[in-house]
This record gives sequence, structure tokens and C-alpha cells, in this order.
Amino acid sequence: MNIRLVRVDDLLGMQACNLQNLPENYTLKYYMYHALTWPQLSYVAEEDGKIVGYILAKMEEDLPDDDEAHGHVTSISVLRSYRRLGLAKRLMLQSQEAMATVYKASYVSLHVRKSNRAALGLYRDTLGFTVRDIEKAYYADGEDAYAMRLSLKDLAR
Amino acid sequence: MAPTTTPPARALPARESSLFKEVLHNYEDRQLKKGLKAAETILKKFPNHGETMCMKGLILTHMGRRDEGFDLVKQGVRHDLTSHICWHVFGLVQKGQKNYDEALKSYTQALRFDKENMNILRDAAHLQTQLRHYDQLVETRHTLLRLRPQLRQNWIALAVAYHLHGNLTESKNILAQFERIVKNVPDYDIELSEVLLYHVRVLEDLGEYKEALALLDTHAKSRMIIDRVAIMEFRARLSSKLKSEDAQQAWQGLIEQNADSYDYYRGYLSNRGIDLDALTDETRVQALQTLRHFAEQFSRAAAPQRLALAVAAGDEFKELLEPYLRTRLAKGIPSLFTDLKALYRDPSKRDIIESVTHALLDSLAHAPDAPCPSSIDPTMYVWTLYFLAQHHSHLGRHDKALALLDTAIAHTPTLPELYLFHGRVLKRAGDPYGAARWVDQARLLDLQDRFLNARCGKYRLRAGLVEEAVEVFGLFTKKDAPSPSQDLEDMQSLLYLIEEADAHRRNGNYAMALKRYLAVQKVFDDFEDDQFDFHGYSVRKFTVNIYLNLLKWEDTLRSHPAYVHAAIEASRILVRLHDDPSIANKASSQSHLSEAEKKAKKKAKKAEKKVQEEAKKASANGSNEDKGLEAGPPKDDDPDGAKLLQAPEPLERAAKLLKPLSTLAKDNVQAWAAIYDVAVRRKKYLQALQALQRAHTLDPASPDLHTRLVDFAQRWKALNDKIAENATTVVSSSLAKFIPEDVPPERFNSQYLQAHSTRGDAILGAAKASQLLGAPREEVEAAVFGVLNPDVALQLETAIAVDAFLAEIQSPRVDEFRAAAKAKFPLSTVFAPHAELPALRKSAIGLAVAEVNAEKEEFIS
Repeated sequence: MNIRLVRVDDLLGMQACNLQNLPENYTLKYYMYHALTWPQLSYVAEEDGKIVGYILAKMEEDLPDDDEAHGHVTSISVLRSYRRLGLAKRLMLQSQEAMATVYKASYVSLHVRKSNRAALGLYRDTLGFTVRDIEKAYYADGEDAYAMRLSLKDLAR
Repeated sequence: MAPTTTPPARALPARESSLFKEVLHNYEDRQLKKGLKAAETILKKFPNHGETMCMKGLILTHMGRRDEGFDLVKQGVRHDLTSHICWHVFGLVQKGQKNYDEALKSYTQALRFDKENMNILRDAAHLQTQLRHYDQLVETRHTLLRLRPQLRQNWIALAVAYHLHGNLTESKNILAQFERIVKNVPDYDIELSEVLLYHVRVLEDLGEYKEALALLDTHAKSRMIIDRVAIMEFRARLSSKLKSEDAQQAWQGLIEQNADSYDYYRGYLSNRGIDLDALTDETRVQALQTLRHFAEQFSRAAAPQRLALAVAAGDEFKELLEPYLRTRLAKGIPSLFTDLKALYRDPSKRDIIESVTHALLDSLAHAPDAPCPSSIDPTMYVWTLYFLAQHHSHLGRHDKALALLDTAIAHTPTLPELYLFHGRVLKRAGDPYGAARWVDQARLLDLQDRFLNARCGKYRLRAGLVEEAVEVFGLFTKKDAPSPSQDLEDMQSLLYLIEEADAHRRNGNYAMALKRYLAVQKVFDDFEDDQFDFHGYSVRKFTVNIYLNLLKWEDTLRSHPAYVHAAIEASRILVRLHDDPSIANKASSQSHLSEAEKKAKKKAKKAEKKVQEEAKKASANGSNEDKGLEAGPPKDDDPDGAKLLQAPEPLERAAKLLKPLSTLAKDNVQAWAAIYDVAVRRKKYLQALQALQRAHTLDPASPDLHTRLVDFAQRWKALNDKIAENATTVVSSSLAKFIPEDVPPERFNSQYLQAHSTRGDAILGAAKASQLLGAPREEVEAAVFGVLNPDVALQLETAIAVDAFLAEIQSPRVDEFRAAAKAKFPLSTVFAPHAELPALRKSAIGLAVAEVNAEKEEFIS
């Protein structure tokens, strides 16, 4: 089980992993866009050449003038058959560190389904995210999202 | 060579001239209606003004009237062959059609008449990169830099061009020059940081490690390079290459930053002269010591412990294995077996794992009916059973695996993994229907989980139940998509396309199989196209290192297993079509769309009608809506694939599909077999024979090769119109290397059979060859039944292939074979009599989707 920075060769595997796990999917070009704009922020968990987990992250663009630079997790997922290894946590920590040190991000944000208790547990209890807002009908199937946030102020050096 | 005066046909009087300028401005601002009107005003008076015709055509394209627009552009060019505007527009439109070759030609023409047009130069550069014309790219980038040296990206783009062209030294020089003159760089400038990291990489690629490290350290200190992970990785690698004393510290630092990366441990050990893939007795001891030390230091990380297991042997291995297993079984980690599977290459480790785990199980075992005693951890118990089931199934002991799973399920009936694996074992044992049913049960335990859903769909496809599979997939696809299949195709799900294509192929539905395989081809065409925008984007963003990696990846894109498989299987269908064109007609008459497909077809028709009506409304308003230069996805006018099957020149299409494989799948025997099948039918005998030679180098005993050698010999002998004299000699002498001239093919075949008489697939291959040689059917049948001999190690796959072959030659002994095969594979259902199939198919589905929904509603209401 190898946790490392994303490479171009990994993108197809990330896409396959995402399609198996989540209903929110993207074409390959969107993965390329992330990796080629912020190459330091996306990480993968790889075993024997297969991508079993990933975090696809970016720095938020289109900021209102007064807002500080912050990171955003577009998508994070681990194959069911590779759960309980703490992969999601480790992937998130690597990405956050990069957001803070390379891009001086003040915080990182993400969206999570209201009903996804497992993910909520990871973000809120394990990683220290707090709920900022509820975005109604955020997901394509109409479900609400918690917009969550974690400060990175103590990570920046 | 450009004319020094404007040709008379191009010049416009003052009024029209300013109108033309308006057209250009309108286009730039995307004021399409206004631009169109202005252009049409000019054309009323000057109907042959090429430049206006081109602009009007361009605007029409943007408005969605693409065919009309393109024709007009072509006309416009013809009317003004020396206008850079005309050629530029032509190139733009061709680029939008993804016709990059022609677009570049147009841009090159445009440049002849306006050498220093920045827009045209930039677009040309992107096209040259896409087409891999790196020599031209260097020239273009030079021109751009000369024209605007103040623009930073022009420097970087030139360095990249040199790099791509293979001139690293020149690339280095450009970067050095750039760094000398760049000014006013703010602190923590990510862009400059990336440029400097690129420079370091170029130096490393040139082998100038000292210089690379010096550059790295200088700029890391001055905080010009701000990517800490990259700094540390470069430093560690470069120090190692220089055999510097700092290297060890550098690797240590990387491990501290990320203790889960195998690459870092490898680097650390390699730096100390320990190669994990080639351990000596001495280095093994050192490696183990180091890894144990790291395992202590980073107790949360699995990597050092797992690497230690790979390195250790004998008692030491056992000593390390026990705690590793226990912790993970107690935690209930589903991937434990997959994690350790690589160790099974070593039979002694495999046996130790088996004995240790069984001992563990014995200590946990308790009476099945009684509740779990408090001294026993129920989690550990279940997961140990699960692990052992995986272990035994991996080693072919499917019965034992199933027994263990049954115990586990009785103990913990709500664990989906148990049902999933139960299905997997049945699949391996040749019961795809039972497999699908068990995986469905897993899915029903957690309807929110897409992973379980995807598995269920896949297993239904493996059982040939396409409609039911799509229905299940549809629970997670977008509700507003025309059909679940369309959504999965739009989202480029290669897994889905390949599995469904294979299912159709096994069901004999060649039309749909071909359709899905070609959809895979289209997805890869899109992947190739995706890089285009990055030729400009990545230079603007300065993320050069990963951009170069992207180009490298794209160069070998079609080596991906999904493409290779799709190309081979599609070509096989096309070859069948060539050999028996009646297949195409059968397909269209048999177009029995399933209920779900009929519904989807209706829905798609409705949606399409809606789009057409909206489009009509839009064009009636003459809206300003900019539809861009690229056409949207075409509507699906061939839902059951019949048209694809009837398209002409199947062999040419097959050859095109297979072309990349000769370089990108050159170690794949099946690829060469497929290339042979197409080449020989296209009468390209040299190419066909070369394919066989390549296959022979890879696997001389391959049955697929053997049958084709016999096939070639037959065709060559029967050839009336021989090819050119010298080519004939080459072919004959090459063929003689495989089948000596004095050996009749029948003897060659029996020699092969004798040499490989215990291999089931070889027996089948020899039988196929004898059929090609015209042996009577009874003889061929008898030969093929040889796979059932007790001294033959018969694989399930081979038995299935024999079954298919007997059906193809319309043998009356099919049922006899199936009964015998069933006896050899008692858990299988693939050899069940045809009469039993409907019941088997029905049994594969637990509950229909509708029934599950009805149940759910009951709970909620």
C-alpha cells in the first residue's frame, strides 16, 4: 500500500475508482485539469499498480476579493475493499500539508452528503472539520450537502 | 513570397472596408447576429469577397450551422488563396473538427502571408505539439520569443520545445538565460518555483547532478522554490546519484514526511546499496534491520512492516507474520489477503501463512450453534474465516473456501464482503449464475453503496444478463441521462463498456458487442484529444514537469489493457464479418430490443425531439448563442449496432484498430494473432508472417500461433496469384523456418500435439488445425475430446473454449462433452444443458429492482 503524489499515469485509475464508489463522476479531462494546475495537491493510494483510493484537490479560484486563499477537496474516495486502513485520513493530511506550504492556504473546504455518516465522522471527528453551512439540493439527486471547513493556520510555516 | 500589394479582389471600398472591420469585432465579441448581418451586407455587393465569405462561414459554425459554415469557408478560401485571414479561419474550423493535420496545413499557409501574426503562431505551435512535429515547434516558439521577449511564457515554451525535440542542452541554456533576466518576482511565486524545478529536472536528465543539486539548494534556501516535497525528493535522488553523505538524511526526511510511501524506503535502502528486488544474504540482514527500525519509529505506518515481510525468510518471517496478521484480523481489514498475496510467489511463505492462520482459527473456533464465548473476539473469528476462504480459493480449493464462508455467514449474516466473496468463488468455479445471485445478496445488504452495486452489475454481465445489469447500474447513474448505458459511456466507464461488450459477444450479439468495443475506441480518441488545450494552458501556468509527463503518457496511451482488449475483440468480429457477411443481416432482423432498451430508445427519441424543437426556436430567434467551434456529441442513430455491422470494409477498419498494438502491445501474443488474421485476409502475406514470427518469439508453443501457422501454410499453398518473385522467396523461406518444406502440415500438427499432449489448450489448438486441414468432423471431435483425458490439466477456460468450438462445427457430441465437463467441474453451471438455462438465468437475480423499491417504500411509509 503506497501513498504518494499523483502522477499522470494514475488519472485513469482514479477515474475508475471514482466511478465504482461515488455517483458524482467526471471526465478524464477534469482530472487532468486538477493535476496540471495544482500538481502538488492530489494524492493516491496504490497497491500493485492499482489505484485503490485518491484525493482530488485544488485551490479555489474565482474568489471574492476579501476572501483568503483556500483549498478545496473536489473528490475523495477509497474502494470498499480497502477500507479500515486509514487511507482517507492519510490522503487528506498529505494534501492539506501541501495546500498550506505551497499555496499558503488558510483553510480547506469540502462538501459532504448530509446522510453520509461515515464521511462526516472522518471529517468532523478525525480531521477536525466544522460545518459552515448547509447547501440545499447541492447534489444532482437533490440531497443537501454540509459545506465543511478546516483551518490550516497552524500548518503554514 | 507574399504579394506586396493587396490583390484587387480583396480590396474593399471605404464603407465595406469598415463594415468588414465590424464583422471582425463582432466575431471577437461573439455578437454573432450582428456579425452575420454585417457580413451579408458586404456580400450583397461583393459576393465573391473571400475574406467575408470565410468570416460568415466562421460565424455560422459558431451558431450551430456547421455544415453550411464549413462549405462557405472552403469557398471563401478558394476565392482568396493568399489571404492569411482565409487560411486562419479555415484552420480554426478544421481544428474545431479535430482535423489537426489539415488545420496545421491551413495555419502554415496563413503564416506564409502573415509571418508574424501572434495568434496564428500560437495556434500553430499547439497543433505542432499535438502532432508531435517538434522541429517545427522549435522554430515557431523561436519566432514567438523574438516577437515578444517580455512575455515569460515565451521563454518557457521555447525551453519546452527544445526538450520535446530532444535537445536538452539548448533547453537548459534558454532556462538559464531566462533566470538571469527575470525581474520583479514576488515572494512565494509558485510559477517561478515550477520553472526552477523544471530547470533542475533538465539538469538531472542531462546527468549534470552536481549542477542540479546546486541549483536546487540555492533556490530552496532563497525560498524561490516553495514545493517542499519536490525539493526533498529531488535532493534525495540527486544526493544518491552523487553518492553524497547527505543522501541518507534526505531519504530519512522524506520518510518522516510520508511514512507510507514505498518509494522512499526503496530509495533509502538503495542508497545504502541494498536492492530490494535482488537481495543477497548480507543485504537481506541489513534490509531487515533497517525496516524493523523504521517500523518501530513509525508504528502507525504499514509500509515498513509489509516490506519486512517481503524481505524476511523462514522463522524470522513467521515471527513477523503473526503480529501483522493478528492486528489486522482483529481490526477486520478486508484487504489483508490482497495485501499478502504477492508473498505467495514464495511457496514456503505461502505454507507458513496457511499454517499460522489455521492455528489462529483453531484457537478461535467454537460450536456453531452456541453464541460466541466471551474469550473469543467475534470480529477476529469472522475475518480469519474470510481470509482463509480467500487463501484456499486462490489455490483452487473452492469447496473448502465455500465451506469456510458458510461458517462465517452463519456467524455474521450481515457482512457484505462474505457474500461478495462467495460469489467470486462460484465465478471461479464456473457458476456465473450462482455468482451473480450471491453478489446481488451482498448488494441488498447496503443499497447506498455504489461499489456493491457496480459489482452486482458486473457479475450480471458475466452471466450474460445484460438488461438486468443495466437496470442495476441505473440505480446510480444520472436520472436525466437518456439511459444508464449512455451515462456510463459519457463518463467514460471503460469497465462497463468492456464488460458489456464481452457479454454481448458471449451471447452472440456481435452488433452490440462491436458497438461497445468501438465506444471504447472513441473514448481513447477523446483521451488523446484532451491534451490539446494543455499545450497552451500548461505553459501559461508554468507547470512544465507534469505537462511533459502528460505528453509522455499520451504517446503510449493505447497500450492500456482496455484499448488492447477492445481492439483485439472488435477486430475478431470484423474478421468474422468478412468471412461470413450474412452475420450482418442476421443482426438487423434479429434486432430484438429488450424492454428496457425500447424504453430508453423512446426516451432518447423524446429528448432528441425536444432538443430539435428548442434548436428550431433558437434559430428562429436567430439567437446569439455561441455554440463554439466544436460540434456536440452526435445523436445515437444506431441503438442496436446493426448499422455498424453493415458498414463497409471491415478488414480496413480492423487494421486501423490494431495498428497501435504493433508497438504498444508488442509483447502480447493475442495482439499478434489478431494482426495476423487481418493481414492474411488483406493478402499482406509478409506482414502476416512477420506477425507470426513476433508471436513465436514470445511464446513458441502457443496454440493460437500453431493454428495460424497451419492456416498460413494452407493459404500459401492454395495461392493462385503469387505475389512478386522476391517476396515469394522471402515468405517461403521464412515459412520453412516454422514448417520445414519436407514436412506435410498434418505431420507438423501431430508433432505439435505429441509435444504438448498434457496441455488442454494445445489439444484444442491441434484439433482446430486438423479441422483447417480438412480432417473429417468425427476425427476432429475425437481429438478435442482428448482434453478430458486424466493426464491433462484441464482449465475451466479451455473446457469452455472446447464447448464453443464443438458448437461452431455443429458437432452432435456437444451434450456429451458438456456432461463430461460438468463432471470435471462439479460446481460449474456453464455446462448445464440448454434446457436448464432459463431457470438458471432467473435464479441469478435475487429480487428485481422494482420489488426492492416496493419494499423500501413499505418501510418508509
